Amino acid sequence: MRVSSGSRGETQKPERRVSRRRLFELTAAAALTLGGLAAAVRTHGYAVPVGRRLVATSPWQFIVLQHAARRIAAPDREGAAAIPTVPTADDLDVAGFVDGWLVRMQPGVRRDFGRFLAYVEHVAPLREGLVTRFSRLAPPEQDRVLAATEASSSDLLRAGFDGLKSLCMMGYYRDARAWSLVGYDGPLVGRPPSGWSGG
Amino acid sequence: MTGAIVLGRDLTGDQVLVVDAVVVGTGAGGSIALRELARAGLDVVALEEGPYLTPRDFNQREDEMIPRLFQDAGGRATEDLGIRVLQGRGVGGSTIHNTNLCKRTPDAILELWARKYGVAGASAADLQAAFETIERDLSVSEIPAALRNANNDVLRAGCEALGWRGAQLHHNRNGCQQSGFCELGCAYDAKQNALKVVLPQALEAGARVYADVEAVRIVHDGARVVGVHAVARDADGGPRGAVNVWAKVVVLAASAVGSAALARRSGLPDPNQQLGRGLRMHPGAAVAGRFDRDIRGWRGIPQSFECTEHLSHEEGSDERVWIVPAFAHPVGSAATLPGFGAAHMAAMRAYPRLAVMTAVVHDETRGEVDVDGEGNPIVRYVMSERDRGQLAKGLVACARLLLAAGALEVTIPAIPRVRVTRASELDGLDTSALRPHSVPLTAVHPMGTLRMGEDPKISVVRSTGEHHQLRGLFVADGSLFPTSIGVPPQISIYAFAQHLAPHIIERAR
Ligand SMILES: Cc1cc2nc3c(=O)[nH]c(=O)nc-3n(C[C@H](O)[C@H](O)[C@H](O)COP(=O)(O)OP(=O)(O)OC[C@H]3O[C@@H](n4cnc5c(N)ncnc54)[C@H](O)[C@@H]3O)c2cc1C
Ligand code: SF4
Repeated sequence: MRVSSGSRGETQKPERRVSRRRLFELTAAAALTLGGLAAAVRTHGYAVPVGRRLVATSPWQFIVLQHAARRIAAPDREGAAAIPTVPTADDLDVAGFVDGWLVRMQPGVRRDFGRFLAYVEHVAPLREGLVTRFSRLAPPEQDRVLAATEASSSDLLRAGFDGLKSLCMMGYYRDARAWSLVGYDGPLVGRPPSGWSGG
Repeated sequence: MTGAIVLGRDLTGDQVLVVDAVVVGTGAGGSIALRELARAGLDVVALEEGPYLTPRDFNQREDEMIPRLFQDAGGRATEDLGIRVLQGRGVGGSTIHNTNLCKRTPDAILELWARKYGVAGASAADLQAAFETIERDLSVSEIPAALRNANNDVLRAGCEALGWRGAQLHHNRNGCQQSGFCELGCAYDAKQNALKVVLPQALEAGARVYADVEAVRIVHDGARVVGVHAVARDADGGPRGAVNVWAKVVVLAASAVGSAALARRSGLPDPNQQLGRGLRMHPGAAVAGRFDRDIRGWRGIPQSFECTEHLSHEEGSDERVWIVPAFAHPVGSAATLPGFGAAHMAAMRAYPRLAVMTAVVHDETRGEVDVDGEGNPIVRYVMSERDRGQLAKGLVACARLLLAAGALEVTIPAIPRVRVTRASELDGLDTSALRPHSVPLTAVHPMGTLRMGEDPKISVVRSTGEHHQLRGLFVADGSLFPTSIGVPPQISIYAFAQHLAPHIIERAR
């Protein structure tokens, strides 16, 4: 009898992988091509709020994530004016949610996500002619950098942005405080489906 | 004899099971194979890598259910990241969170398979009994028009206004509360699916299901299978112990991605390099229309009406788009709507007034399932030019339907986004941006990676479902289909498993 070839042991298998990993690997590769700057990420000068316990990201990654989340889930002005209680990404702890989400990913995924954040922090601003790192830019400039990444001619960078945006939107719109902004009434379990008559 | 569901996390120490047959995967195909083997009096177990969840677990929250119900926590994608691939993971497979549409395999597809792919004994007449059994067991019926929600009614109105072909769909629900949370699992146990109907029947007939137990490798001697090596996992996904199953029949039903990946990493004989090839997925993308009234598309049965104006199942047709409503909950909608920041939130405020349609391509593209160095699936799929054309045609058709139904404005979420308020703007539209990596694409129907047919040069298993080279290895899931089927696949998968079961039983005796 032959136990067929393969890299796995009989009773062991590596931890589960999440395929978005490839996204960040490839995105990071693109970042490197764009000037080799992602490798020179500076990791000093990033202060995480007191009391914040990070589970998956490093301090500099968390700060970049926090800045990106603030812009990606930025409140609309009209709505903010009309309803002063529009929650911000910080109110809903979007960056904290993403940090927690990433913890279930294997180390390789987290590493690749970190590389994409390095691209956003250090490479993407340069491509917009901005010599300041992303997390120190003013919000309109951060928007410019993110918009350029979203519309990049590189499919991989667009996919990278899509991954980051999806996580931030999950972090924002998972919260009941965001549901009320968009008229969503949330889960029905635990309450009768009142108001819905079926057609 | 009554079977049981055994949780991998409860197992202590390594397990050795000696049975007549082992089924890998408990979705549409696996549940039927398991049931039929058990009903034939055989000693059979199923291995399911996902958890055992029940309606009490389905709490209708996207952030909690998506990672629990979907492969890779909902993050599975094609290798080039152009298409998100949603597949289930858990006892009941993708039938737990699917939207319950039921259609038989079109006759034209069955004829094509016989004519061009050498599939024997699978004409509409041959399959009639299996379809009838499945439709009876799953209580398939037409969705009453009274249960059509406002989003589906927009599609009906669009079809009517344009004079396009459209019809009410069939489903497998009973006691539906019209909550609209189908894709997060049914808290009301209204889905007549593998979890609710078929697996309990299998257990009643004596089958055992091992949940949280992942098949790692098919064991074979080059001419016949002898079993499966698996690993039980604890609640965190960490390995808990080996589960080695010895059996003379192994049934692969881990989906078109999972079965092909398992076959590839098991080093099955593949003299004609067919294994994992031929992947089709029905990729699709959504188009949103803003109305001047509330639609509240997240409530009610998500899909009850279809538009088949641009869908033909004839080979080589240039009409290969199926249009159905597709409304997502806030997280899914926010991720799909183009842009970000203030403008995005402003667009999200129209959420209750949006109607959303999706164009699904009955695809010709041949993708592939491979494995990486650790044995994990890689889904390769680069959409052909012809399929891109179909996608663009479908998105434009969705826009026309929405406008015809009264939408004030329609958005195709491409980069750059396409926004129109009048149908005439669609006439000369530049559709070059309507392609993967520009439009967010999702595929929920992988199939075709271990194709059936009598010619081993173009297929992996015979028309009986048994592997051409390995005696006792059967396939009973969506991997079997030689081409895209152009309709939602669950009924075809259930029915083919039912149809092939006698061959599996005969081999296992
Ligand atoms: C969101 C969504 C909506 C859908 N809506 C519809 C619809 O309305 N109508 C329709 O016809 N179809 C629909 N489908 C598709 C349909 O549900 C699937 O095509 C069908 O369930 C596939 O059946 P299967 O047996 O091939 O695989 P699945 O049902 O996916 O089952 C495969 C099972 O195998 C398990 N598995 C994988 N690898 C291993 C391993 N190594 N070891 C152990 N277990 C393993 C998986 O965890 C999974 O539970 C939908 C799918 C999705 C994602
Ligand atoms: S719409 Fe019906 S089938 Fe779907 S989740 Fe609600 S009750 Fe269940």
